[in-house]
Amino acid sequence: MIPAAWIALFAPLGGVLVITLLGQRISRFHAGLVASGSTLVSFVCSLIAFLALLDESPGERTHYSTLWTWLSAGDLEFGAEILVDPLSVFMMLVVSGVGFLILSYAVGYMHGDPEERRYHAYKAFFVFSMLLLVQSGNLLLLLAGWGLVGLSSYLLINYWHIRATAVAAGKKAFVMNAIGDATFALALFLLIQRAGSLDFRVVFQEGIAEKSSAVAVLIALGLLGGAVAKSAQIPLHTWLPDAMEGPTPVSALIHAATMVTAGVYLIARTHVLFELAPAIQHLAGILGAMTILVAGLIALVQTDIKRVIAYSTMSQIGYMFVAVGLGAYGAGLFHLMTHAFFKALLFMAAGIVIHALSDEQDIRRMGGLARRLPFTYRAFLVGALALAAVPPFAGFFSKDSILGSAANAGTLGWALWGVAAFGAFLTALYTFRLLFIVFWGELSAFAREHLHAPGFGGLAMAWPVGVLTILAAVGGFLQVPWGWALVDDWLHPVAESAEEATGITFTFSVVATTALALAGIALAWRIWARTDPLPGRLRRRYPWAARTLEEKFYFDAAYDHAFYEPSARSAALALQYVEEPLLLRSLGELGRGVRSLSGRLSAVQTGSVRSYALALGAGAAVIALVFLLVS
Amino acid sequence: MAGPSAAAYLVVSVLLFATGAFGVLIRRSPLIILLALEIMLNAGNLALLAFSRHAGNGDGQIFALTVMVVAAAEAVVGLGLIVAVSRQRVELDVDRLTSLRG
Amino acid sequence: MADFLVWVVWVLAAAALLSSGIAVVLFSNPFFSALALIVNLASLAVLYLILAAEFVAAAQVLVYAGAIVVMFLFVIAYLGGRADAPWAGGPTLQSVAAIVAAGAIAVEVVVVVALKAGDRLANAAEIPATFGSPSQIGRLFLGPHLLAFEVTSIVLLVAAVGGVILGTAVPRESRG
Repeated sequence: MIPAAWIALFAPLGGVLVITLLGQRISRFHAGLVASGSTLVSFVCSLIAFLALLDESPGERTHYSTLWTWLSAGDLEFGAEILVDPLSVFMMLVVSGVGFLILSYAVGYMHGDPEERRYHAYKAFFVFSMLLLVQSGNLLLLLAGWGLVGLSSYLLINYWHIRATAVAAGKKAFVMNAIGDATFALALFLLIQRAGSLDFRVVFQEGIAEKSSAVAVLIALGLLGGAVAKSAQIPLHTWLPDAMEGPTPVSALIHAATMVTAGVYLIARTHVLFELAPAIQHLAGILGAMTILVAGLIALVQTDIKRVIAYSTMSQIGYMFVAVGLGAYGAGLFHLMTHAFFKALLFMAAGIVIHALSDEQDIRRMGGLARRLPFTYRAFLVGALALAAVPPFAGFFSKDSILGSAANAGTLGWALWGVAAFGAFLTALYTFRLLFIVFWGELSAFAREHLHAPGFGGLAMAWPVGVLTILAAVGGFLQVPWGWALVDDWLHPVAESAEEATGITFTFSVVATTALALAGIALAWRIWARTDPLPGRLRRRYPWAARTLEEKFYFDAAYDHAFYEPSARSAALALQYVEEPLLLRSLGELGRGVRSLSGRLSAVQTGSVRSYALALGAGAAVIALVFLLVS
Repeated sequence: MAGPSAAAYLVVSVLLFATGAFGVLIRRSPLIILLALEIMLNAGNLALLAFSRHAGNGDGQIFALTVMVVAAAEAVVGLGLIVAVSRQRVELDVDRLTSLRG
Repeated sequence: MADFLVWVVWVLAAAALLSSGIAVVLFSNPFFSALALIVNLASLAVLYLILAAEFVAAAQVLVYAGAIVVMFLFVIAYLGGRADAPWAGGPTLQSVAAIVAAGAIAVEVVVVVALKAGDRLANAAEIPATFGSPSQIGRLFLGPHLLAFEVTSIVLLVAAVGGVILGTAVPRESRG
């Protein structure tokens, strides 16, 4: 089991090395095969580890393994160690499983791209980084994986680095993540000071800090900062929509299924520390709820197919944050899993649409594609139903798990429940808006001109979509209300979930949310399946509302004014007053000065004997004088 | 010693030397410069001989003779140079002979 | 009485020496400069005699005045004795600096001699009669200073060869 876990971690890295070292010697297609193959190896090894853990009794399912001592400084020692326990294996399965599907899809999607090998290498590197994050046995290694994941995201967002928008998006993502990394690191400093180690075994013990003490609050706050940045929650969320500049499989893998969920994993893993600062834990839930709302509203007016799905991702992660904020770790991670399924599915289906329309992403130019892309339409439909939490699709079970826990968590819980329920309505609304606009109705003029069959990539893209469709359809049955709760039970030894509501409360919650979801679908159908002029009328009546939504609640504008512009201006000032005169020109001045000085000095060499003789004579006189004075 | 002491000879010698140095520095014709150079060498000889007499040591005279030999050799070569330069139809002006400038 | 005579001769010779030296330097016509040099060398010979250096005085007249100055005169005649006035063009940096440098050297040495060395140079040593005679010079050259003797002969050889080479006209065809 332990060797399997190590192989699972290093297989994708091996894939990266193979692709990098072989360079042009393997074909682009084979590079893709290497990348996805290594991820498959990871998945198989994760399965082995999972099955091995199943064999053991729940109390024993914790195994650490250290390969070498990574950092050693004085009293502190950090090993390169991994942890095989229910939570890490759960994440490993999700990451490597969905990762394998997406990497295979990418072989078809990126077919024909001139730098495809680089893409596959980056993708495999990302899988490695994510696995490092979820498998690490101490917080320092987790931070290393955290950073590497951020790096892979940056590399992949501006994969098409010729595009200025992509480069800007990559920088934005990296910088905002860096803020989270900073707070994360600060929390780690505090932990080191308290515990002298970052090993899970040490840090999660009782008494590491007093409950609700300042230290505990700061630690939890630092960790939350990192989670918020990585998972694109308010207020550090503005990078995620821009990250859609990357290729669609990147959006599917990194910005839907795995990287953005790292924050949720972190909170679940360090839940002991969060429980020591309940205020912060509740703050996580509140931020999640805010994100559900804001993201859902913005998604209603987006016109780029990928951005709608991106805001939807933000919104769904908000649900996960609500869950872990209320201590329902099982529910949160369950939703993480199902979300990985249906969100990746949605992205991949959208990718097929984009490919078929020659890289067009504006939904106003799409329409009526259901008849021409039936398979894609059906896949998208399943994904949308799962996202909207319509039974019996996967999202229904996981979302209701969360809402059920919220209903059982006191006043705060009910407040969050309210927001989450309204969020369910919004989710259904914008999701089906997207579906109706893109797939229903008449074939748009643009589509009529540009629609073409996928060609080679078609089959390669189709089968992962098919697998995910099935998973999105039936994946929810792992945890059925009034039935069994496999995920909760599995994660129990690591993260004990809060109790879900039972009885009337629970039934009410389920029924209410389902009704809201169906209402959302119905409203969407009324407005967009029939091209109702209602949106136009609303826009004219409340132009400020429309503008707020379109400006993404002015978050970007505010950040621009507060942070970007001052720093850009000070950089320009520095360039003008410091760098140019002091550094750039001074070097030139230095050179010119030396030249003129030596020019003047070379005037001594006149070639005239008389001046040389004069120099000799004067020198002799001076020396004689010196001798005179000295003696 | 008959006549003035060595000090007087030294003073005369240095005055002659300064005259010769002045000539080397101020004249432009290489011929005159060589002549002034001979004066400087002779001034040195005078000082040598004065000291030799003062100390009663014959070595000074040997030295003076050697200096004379060297001066002769140098005059030969110097004049040969001047002749060769003038054959190139170049004006005999030290200020113009600057092709060795660096 | 003899001493007084020596003094007179000395003063005359020194005066001739210095004035002819100035004449060498200041004449514009090189021919006249060379003639002034002859006077210079002759007065030097007189001074050498007073210093009991007979052989050197003889050599001076024979070699310097007899050979070297003649060589100079030949070259001056051959070249046509172009005249150049040293004070043409007004006082330049070169001329002023030359005066200063030469003057400085002179002043320094005079000061040293006057201040420091005056007493020590007062009493000359007693010399035997053979001092400065050819036999003594010969004995010194072939004894302690044999190396100098041999080296000077080589120097003369080199100078002669060099003079011949420099003086040989290169045929016009092979020039350039």
